[in-house]
Amino acid sequence: MHILIVGAGRVGLRTARITHNEGHEVTVVENDYDKAERAQNEGFAVVEGDGSDEDTLERAGVDEVDALGALTGDLNTNFVACMVGKHHGCRTVMRIDEDYRENIYRKYAEEVDEIVYPERLGAIGAKNALLGGNVTAIADLAENLQIVQFAVTEDAPMHGYTLSELELPSRARLLAFGKKDGALGLPLPDDTLEVGDRIAVLAEFDALDDVRQILVGEATAATEVA
Amino acid sequence: MVTAYVLVKANTGEADRLLDAIAAIDGVVDAHIVAGDVDVIAKLDVDSPTDVKDIAADEIQHTDGVEDTETYISM
Repeated sequence: MHILIVGAGRVGLRTARITHNEGHEVTVVENDYDKAERAQNEGFAVVEGDGSDEDTLERAGVDEVDALGALTGDLNTNFVACMVGKHHGCRTVMRIDEDYRENIYRKYAEEVDEIVYPERLGAIGAKNALLGGNVTAIADLAENLQIVQFAVTEDAPMHGYTLSELELPSRARLLAFGKKDGALGLPLPDDTLEVGDRIAVLAEFDALDDVRQILVGEATAATEVA
Repeated sequence: MVTAYVLVKANTGEADRLLDAIAAIDGVVDAHIVAGDVDVIAKLDVDSPTDVKDIAADEIQHTDGVEDTETYISM
């Protein structure tokens, strides 16, 4: 896809990098000379200018791109960039600065397809790092639906069994499996659950405790809420 | 008559309720949810600058879900 990123700050530039690394074409709009130069030095196509200005976005190819990420720290710029993007037929993603605003923009901003609140994702990462342990929340898909990664322990009831023998609660699905120190991949029926292996599960909030007891084994650990 | 604009910063996602509560205040003639650093802008049409202060500082400020207000009187 061809992606237009508005704002080459700490959120925009990182998004540009990982989007580019996955093989997508990325154009960046940035109004600060130093930030624009830094993005340019990293090899991005950069258009210097105001991201809330339609002419600037047109110069950056808003007519041709598939999606626009409005990722500056300025809400007005982000919202106007999404309005322009939507008008030109893009899928639009807007960065917000406070979590209570998520509902407001979801409800009222028809120009905005998706909302990102980077601090929330940062807080999930920080919390996981602080707590350590065998349970890691990866993502909240909906209020009641999470992707959580579990690390198999010595005490886990399923320790030593294969994935084909694993029975999760009905409101949970096995998504991925990785050997200790290996990368996560698609789960195969013959994979054996050994200490340190990691399993990513999509589960409704109420089912998480049961999943944890099967895979980790502790009875009392708190469930993870992002 | 005095016309004034009150910029309202919320601390709740219940923008509907907030908008209705502010719009129902006597003296508020128009109110909109807006994008940006504030969440609602209300327009007041009242008799005196004192009324502006009363509405902004007492009624709007004390509406549930209002974090802060900023008032501008029209010249």
